[in-house]
Amino acid sequence: MLIDVKSLYKIYNEGQESEVRALDGVSLGIDRGEFVAIIGQSGSGKSTLMNILGCLDIPTYGDYHLDGVDVTERTDTQLAHIRNKQIGFIFQGYNLIPALNVWENVELPLLYQGVLGSKRRDLVEHALERVNLLDRAKHKPTEMSGGQQQRAAIARAIATRPPIIMADEPTGALDSRTGKHVLEILHGLHDEGSTVILITHDNGIAATAERVVRLSDGRIIYDGSREGAFT
Amino acid sequence: MSFRQAFKMAVKSIVGKKMRSFLTMLGIIIGVAAVVIMVSVIQGQNQQWMKYILSQGTNRLSVEAYSWNGTNISDELSKYCMGLGDLVEGITPSSLQINQTVNIKYGSKVFSTDNWDDWTKRITVELGSEQYGLCNNYTIAEGRDMSHLEIEKANNVCVLGGGAAEMIFDFVNPIGKTITLNSTPFQVVGVYEKKGVDGWPEWDNIILIPYTFNRSMNGNQPIQSYTIKAVDAEASTRASTLIQGFLKGLIPEDNGWYNVQNSNQSIDNVNEQNLMQSLVVGCIAGVSLLVGGIGIMNIMLVTVTERTREIGIRKAIGAERKSIIIQFLIEACMLCGLGGIIGIFFGYLGTLIAGKFMLQMILYPTMSITIGAFAFSVVLGVVFGIYPAIKASGLQPVVALRAD
Repeated sequence: MLIDVKSLYKIYNEGQESEVRALDGVSLGIDRGEFVAIIGQSGSGKSTLMNILGCLDIPTYGDYHLDGVDVTERTDTQLAHIRNKQIGFIFQGYNLIPALNVWENVELPLLYQGVLGSKRRDLVEHALERVNLLDRAKHKPTEMSGGQQQRAAIARAIATRPPIIMADEPTGALDSRTGKHVLEILHGLHDEGSTVILITHDNGIAATAERVVRLSDGRIIYDGSREGAFT
Repeated sequence: MSFRQAFKMAVKSIVGKKMRSFLTMLGIIIGVAAVVIMVSVIQGQNQQWMKYILSQGTNRLSVEAYSWNGTNISDELSKYCMGLGDLVEGITPSSLQINQTVNIKYGSKVFSTDNWDDWTKRITVELGSEQYGLCNNYTIAEGRDMSHLEIEKANNVCVLGGGAAEMIFDFVNPIGKTITLNSTPFQVVGVYEKKGVDGWPEWDNIILIPYTFNRSMNGNQPIQSYTIKAVDAEASTRASTLIQGFLKGLIPEDNGWYNVQNSNQSIDNVNEQNLMQSLVVGCIAGVSLLVGGIGIMNIMLVTVTERTREIGIRKAIGAERKSIIIQFLIEACMLCGLGGIIGIFFGYLGTLIAGKFMLQMILYPTMSITIGAFAFSVVLGVVFGIYPAIKASGLQPVVALRAD
């Protein structure tokens, strides 16, 4: 099992009156090569779950093994390495660095990995080709449309060729046509062997996934095939 | 990530946000320039004072003494000082001038001591002893000094300062020529080398005649000031004590007044003053640099949410905390270093301009103040600039990403 989560809790202001249980005992297993959509209302805990799965946040309680490694025991530096090598992130707000152009943004995770010279150039070029954005490589994010920015963010996520792609509402800020295009790219990556975890509140998008996990109030209320997810 | 890449990253970040970079640097530029200019001007001014004092020579005593009961202080003091043979090299009346307008004539040329049109060309007629040059640090360029005998006999001889010689004689050799001072002929026996001290042309525009003319040309006006040259610093201190004791005995308390001043004391005073003023001004300018630093911190704080987000992004895609801190450190160093260099440039420019207009001299900042201001600015900028980065890099990526 690639991702193995047991009894995961994320509790804010624990023990106080204002206590919030963003995750309230989540157990989940995801295998290599799956395409999983995590859905739920806003506030259901799906983003919190993805942040923890992506090692951007730490759970209050619970076990998380990523590729057999106990993530909750890792140091800050080790987590940085995991994020760098294992996971590619795609955010709703793109999260490109505005001072850098597209090429430099895509290059960034490779720089942190220490990939050198021509190999790095090939990887960046390949990633940009994959999202059909090579001709915009010298543009700043602010000079591009939302769809182009999201494609640049995808290129950055796949540049290091990570086994897992995590996308948090990747189409949330896009119109339906460009959203569809972004979704196609994600499916393409899945076909090439990546494990894709997609967070969305849009049932139509979730319906393209093989497996759907529905969260409500920090708990999993459905986990199964898409066929049974929307009844 | 290698250092070279961190360096490139910092460059990209600076170039990518030109306005912020400029504003950040502005505080440093102004601060460094202010420190460099202010301290340099103070040092230049004191340098000028030092030059002024040193051009008159060291180990000199300025004596002022007079009495109302008719004691001939002049002769007594001269005798006493010459008796201090191994301590004192010479004594001359000083600040003794002819107390009326003197017309100086050479051939068809006439100069007046009353020339108020151009003070840099005004000639003064000084009365002094044969040791006048020695006591006032003049050296003979041509001819010779007056002799003791010539002074004693009040012979009609004179020595010209370098500036006066140029004015009166142009390129003619003045030695042996005769000039008249209010129709009294004086033969030029020597010319002093020009001192050429900025701001003090009058030192070179003198005509020195024997002080014994005080009787005939000045109506025997009392001589009140003397300059005494001691052989060395230690001798000047001892001579000062001895002469004060001598004058105390010579001048009755209610019937006169005396004062002995050691020029070495003035040098110490200037040095001390230089240190004090540099410190005071350095502190004031340091405050302006600190304000510049606070300006940097302000800019950094204004952009801290934006930067926190950037740090969140970098962490999310795999940056270690170390890489982020190194990047921001290099960025802060470069910004402040660049600001410091520009500040030094304007500091040099400002110092040159201030030196030219305030002190009439070509003034450069010293190396120590330049390096000091630069180092201070970089340290300040790094401290203020990197603090937000250190804080933000310690956050969970998700917390940093949430900042907006």
